[in-house]
Amino acid sequence: MNMDLLIGLKTALARLLIFPGLLFAVPAAWFFLWVERKAVARMQGRIGPPFMQPFFDFIKLLGKSTPPRSGIGGLLMRAWPLIAVSAAAGAVGLLPVLPASGGFEGDLILLLALLEVPSMCIIAAGFSSGSIFGEIGSAREAVLSVSYNIVFLLAIISIAASQHTFSLSALAQLPSSPLRWLGIVAILVCLPAKLHLNPFSLPNAEQEIYSGPMTEYAGPELAMWELSHGLEWVAATGLVATLIAPAFTLWWVAALVFVALSFGLVLLLSVVAAATARLQIDTTVRFYWQCTLIFAVLAVASALFMRFRA
Amino acid sequence: MSYKIPMGPYHPALEEPYKLDLICEGETVIDAQLHIGFNFRGIEHLAETRNYIQVIALMERVCGICSNIHTLTLCNAMEGLTGLTPPPRAQYIRVIMAELERLHSHVLWAGIAAKLMGFKTMFMTCFELREKVMDVLQAISGNRVNYSMNRIGGVNRDITDPQSILRLVEALELEMGRTVIPIFTTSRTARSRCAGIGVLTTEKAVALGVVGPVARASGLPQDLRRAAPYAAYTEMDFDVPVQPAGDVTARLLVRALEIMESCKILRQALSKLPPGEIATEGEKFVFTTGTATARVEAPRGEVMYSVSWKEGSRNPARVHVRTPTFAVMPAIRWMVKGARLADTPLIQASIDPCYSCTDR
Repeated sequence: MNMDLLIGLKTALARLLIFPGLLFAVPAAWFFLWVERKAVARMQGRIGPPFMQPFFDFIKLLGKSTPPRSGIGGLLMRAWPLIAVSAAAGAVGLLPVLPASGGFEGDLILLLALLEVPSMCIIAAGFSSGSIFGEIGSAREAVLSVSYNIVFLLAIISIAASQHTFSLSALAQLPSSPLRWLGIVAILVCLPAKLHLNPFSLPNAEQEIYSGPMTEYAGPELAMWELSHGLEWVAATGLVATLIAPAFTLWWVAALVFVALSFGLVLLLSVVAAATARLQIDTTVRFYWQCTLIFAVLAVASALFMRFRA
Repeated sequence: MSYKIPMGPYHPALEEPYKLDLICEGETVIDAQLHIGFNFRGIEHLAETRNYIQVIALMERVCGICSNIHTLTLCNAMEGLTGLTPPPRAQYIRVIMAELERLHSHVLWAGIAAKLMGFKTMFMTCFELREKVMDVLQAISGNRVNYSMNRIGGVNRDITDPQSILRLVEALELEMGRTVIPIFTTSRTARSRCAGIGVLTTEKAVALGVVGPVARASGLPQDLRRAAPYAAYTEMDFDVPVQPAGDVTARLLVRALEIMESCKILRQALSKLPPGEIATEGEKFVFTTGTATARVEAPRGEVMYSVSWKEGSRNPARVHVRTPTFAVMPAIRWMVKGARLADTPLIQASIDPCYSCTDR
């Protein structure tokens, strides 16, 4: 019994720290940031950054000094990026990529909560920075997150309800249903907003409000924001990849498929970002509420239907 | 509660330093104040210390985009004072340069408008095209920004092989018709950003005395190439595009159509280029005392030069410039009232402002 607990704990730690946790997630975050930048650059007829650029950016930012900030406000401003990074890393660690189930169950509710934390931190950071541009950016982020999260949650809930489980690892093992695909499409619609990509990049619309909530950030704190953004990429694309990927018994096949699918998703999101202009806040909100309505009707109807059939 | 958002003097949405103070309520702009004067270089005063050759090189540096238009207008005014008339070939070459510059300016503007919509792919496409226009300009003048083509009584360089330039222009026209214009007119995200914002009604446009594409996009059919032809514009066949709506889409459409009209003029001018001299060689001239004005349709609208001279002097007594941005600038305040904050960069850019010309 004691032995089992020890093995379980070890597996859990390995997942959190090695794969798909920190040791995998941090280089993966830089890799995905590079893929996105490179893909967009190629589509725009530019050469794009070298492979190591996101890593170099991170190191360079770490070496810079930040302006001294005193009091609770300064403390909070330093804390938000750290909270965002830990939450995003935790979310990646929860992804049930490897088939052998141990330690963590890939709890969907915890994953959703952790995915939401970076966005909350951004909102809080913008307001605590005291800059007018940060405040507007935060207000936009808040409005945006209220609108896309309903679609996002609805999609996840309908997937979970149709297959009677809130465990991501159990979902990954189950054969996919039409409702799951509907949910995946809904999640995909939300991803550009979650990752601040075009056409929903308004919280950091540089032509209007500089970099929004990030305006007052510099040095290591900004490096942490960049890292949390990269980890969000890994977690969000990883979530979709786990839902799409069929179940494999060989662990390395599962890992490869996971990485390949995530890579494909990053490319897809980059294409959308490169091919669109930024929408205004009210167009965006209208778009997501229309999506909400459509998905709500479809998802609830089919979830009910499946319940009765089962 | 209303709050003030400073846009500028240094801001990612502005190419040049100027300042727009936006008084907002939430995301809605209720009023705006425009501050200029960050680019003042005292060029008009410097012009009084330069002789009639140096002053052309000086005025070319008033603007980085429509450099040719400024020397063209200055030369027109100085030719009025000296009584020189450039030969027909020079007049045609002036038209070619002016239209290429219009292409360059409009494509550049389209790129910046795309950037302000957050549409960076379109920005890159436009700037790639702009490079090609600059290649044509370089093929003619040897320069990419300050072409130094105009002189009193003609132009400095000849177009020796109009056919090769014509081929370049046709390639440009094809690419504009294939990429820039369809994307701007059909892309849904781009259209949703432009339609119905920054409206300037015809009445307001008349009251504020706006010029150029902004006036034409508010339903005023004014174009100096048609109303007061200079160079060889009387011999060119072209349309003046007018749109009644007065919003950013209308300004976009007017400029897109003008790109096609410029290509049309270029094709005519290059194929009909008359033989002969490119400047009044060896003809002696003297400046008479007095003031001459010249008006030219720049890419942004009417440019007016008023040049005063005292007989026997090598330097002008006064060179006064009135740029199109100076006329259009007050309209920004009326365009952004009631607009969303997210639209203001695009609205202020839709007049294609050039504050370095305005400040001088």
